[in-house]
Amino acid sequence: MTPTTTSRPSLAPDDALSAILALATKQHGGGRFAFRAHDSELQEIFSDLAEEYDWLPKVFVFSNTGPRPFSPDLNDSIAKLQLAGLLGRENPDYQIIFLRPAAQGYFDKVLAPRLDKESVEQLERVASAFIAKVRLV
Amino acid sequence: MRTAGGPLVSLHERVDKFVEWLFQGFEPIVPRGSKVFNDAILGNQHFARHEVAVIDSPIIQRLKRIKQTGLVHFVFPSATHSRFEHSLGVATLADRCFSAIANRFAAEFPQKAFPANFDRLSGHLAHLRMAALLHDVGHGVCSHGAEQIYQALTDLREFKRDERFVKNAEGEILSYLIIQSTTFRRWFDQIVIGQCHAQIDLNVVGDMILGQHQDPQLYFLSQIVSSPFDADKLDYIARDSYYCGLALTVDLARFYSMIATAEEKAKRVLVLRSYIPLEQILFSRMILFSSVYQHQKVKCLDMMLRGTIQHILDNPDQCAVEIRGAKVTFNDAIDYLYVTDDEFFNMQSFGDPYVKKMLGRFWRRDLFARCVEVSRMTVENWDGFERKIWMDYGRDFQQLSAVEDEIYKRLDGSVRSKCNRDDIKVSVPTLPAMKKDFAYIQTSPTAPVQTVEEFFPLEQWAESYGHNKWRSYVYAPRELAKPVADAAVKVIEDIGLKIKRDVSDRHCHLT
Repeated sequence: MTPTTTSRPSLAPDDALSAILALATKQHGGGRFAFRAHDSELQEIFSDLAEEYDWLPKVFVFSNTGPRPFSPDLNDSIAKLQLAGLLGRENPDYQIIFLRPAAQGYFDKVLAPRLDKESVEQLERVASAFIAKVRLV
Repeated sequence: MRTAGGPLVSLHERVDKFVEWLFQGFEPIVPRGSKVFNDAILGNQHFARHEVAVIDSPIIQRLKRIKQTGLVHFVFPSATHSRFEHSLGVATLADRCFSAIANRFAAEFPQKAFPANFDRLSGHLAHLRMAALLHDVGHGVCSHGAEQIYQALTDLREFKRDERFVKNAEGEILSYLIIQSTTFRRWFDQIVIGQCHAQIDLNVVGDMILGQHQDPQLYFLSQIVSSPFDADKLDYIARDSYYCGLALTVDLARFYSMIATAEEKAKRVLVLRSYIPLEQILFSRMILFSSVYQHQKVKCLDMMLRGTIQHILDNPDQCAVEIRGAKVTFNDAIDYLYVTDDEFFNMQSFGDPYVKKMLGRFWRRDLFARCVEVSRMTVENWDGFERKIWMDYGRDFQQLSAVEDEIYKRLDGSVRSKCNRDDIKVSVPTLPAMKKDFAYIQTSPTAPVQTVEEFFPLEQWAESYGHNKWRSYVYAPRELAKPVADAAVKVIEDIGLKIKRDVSDRHCHLT
């Protein structure tokens, strides 16, 4: 696949993930946004997305030294967003990841004012591709 | 006098200069033979003659003066063990893992040849043991305590954005660069290869320290040194918990009986035949983090160290020190390698009165006190997005400094006159990175290789335990705790978090 060449939104990895998920929620029609994914599946999805959107691997650097692609940035971002109360995981198997209401507030009040139109469009495209790849519940 | 590095001199060159400085005046001695070291945790440890040469070199001897757990010994008094004994332990455990894997391979695949050979002088095992022995040579003063300071200062960050180094901690990258340095390579060629007749390729050793291997069939060897269940963790969990007096355990005999290798996407990877040993590793590690590494007094000590070094950074002319001809200002990651723990806390050459006062506090164990706690128990709007804003200040200490500046400015004039700006410290800890890469489970030689979370959500459980134990604090000298708390609460509320003052005061013993 030919990568889409663009300038990248200048966000820290956890903010980029937060924005992508908040925009995915909006595209999905608002309300509860939840998906079923092991960490390894999420890594694979974002690794695939990184091949399509060339700014993404600059935010989430992937290591290919092991058998499967792995981005510590993505792994840390998921952990940080959980710790910050923007993401939740459903007990007891932790397979279902959902956005908490704070995630939308953080995007609208904190991230969106820092993003230009082009960056938002970039993030929206990734959000749309993410929805197509993930198992929504 | 060593000239300051600066951005125009590459990290490689600055590391070269450090190793050259470290080896100055060192007369290489060829050991007469092998040695046995007796260790409190692992018992007898055997090292071959060429390994003794490396152990006796300045690169490893320096680690005797760097405590394994940084400033933890101020809280857990017997935790005075060093990176030196840990390095020997990792080499021994790496060897035991190798033997366990080979034995299992022979039992499970009697018709196949094990892909790695046992030669301790030139074979794969020799390389593995050397990588394990050298994996921590990049640690500097106060170990991880200083790592969080220098990682914000330096071009090491550029390495961390490189695909090859992205999975590695700063200390691992420095270890890699040290063993690639001209001086070390020259010494290694002369003594280890030339005199002790070992045949070890330092490029392979360097790759293993980074958790990499050029040969996909030998990838598992690098995982013994750096992976979710590497020899490093096996040693530090046992060693740190023992010296801190915590009754944690990893059943090593059980672990060895469960470790194996398997093919995964054309690479031979480490697998466990059961998740039970990994459960012990993860939970022991989590308890070590919450009880020891992130103990509120340990974080306080880390913050006091940061305050001291921040003051040195802000006043380089009056605070620079000379260590055996090297001028150290702490404005570069490499500076932290020149100084060992004993030298830092005994530095009489620090002319600056604030630094002297702070070192005196460490000597007397006159620690700062908690003024405000930020946690799920003390914040009213914990479910709001403002929690994320607060946590973002923990991304680097320059952002935290801005919060500390604001608290200092809000102090009443009479209080401010008794308080140094660096006396106010905010700790917003990051969670321990529970995962540097995937851990794999394969329940039998014919079963599919699965990531551990596909099998059982161990890592997520450990992570959520960490979330519930997470605390952020504002610290200040005890005599200023109350007025600093008043000012800090106002600053935190301006950021958007509503502090339950009565609960915070109670937790911080201000009432």
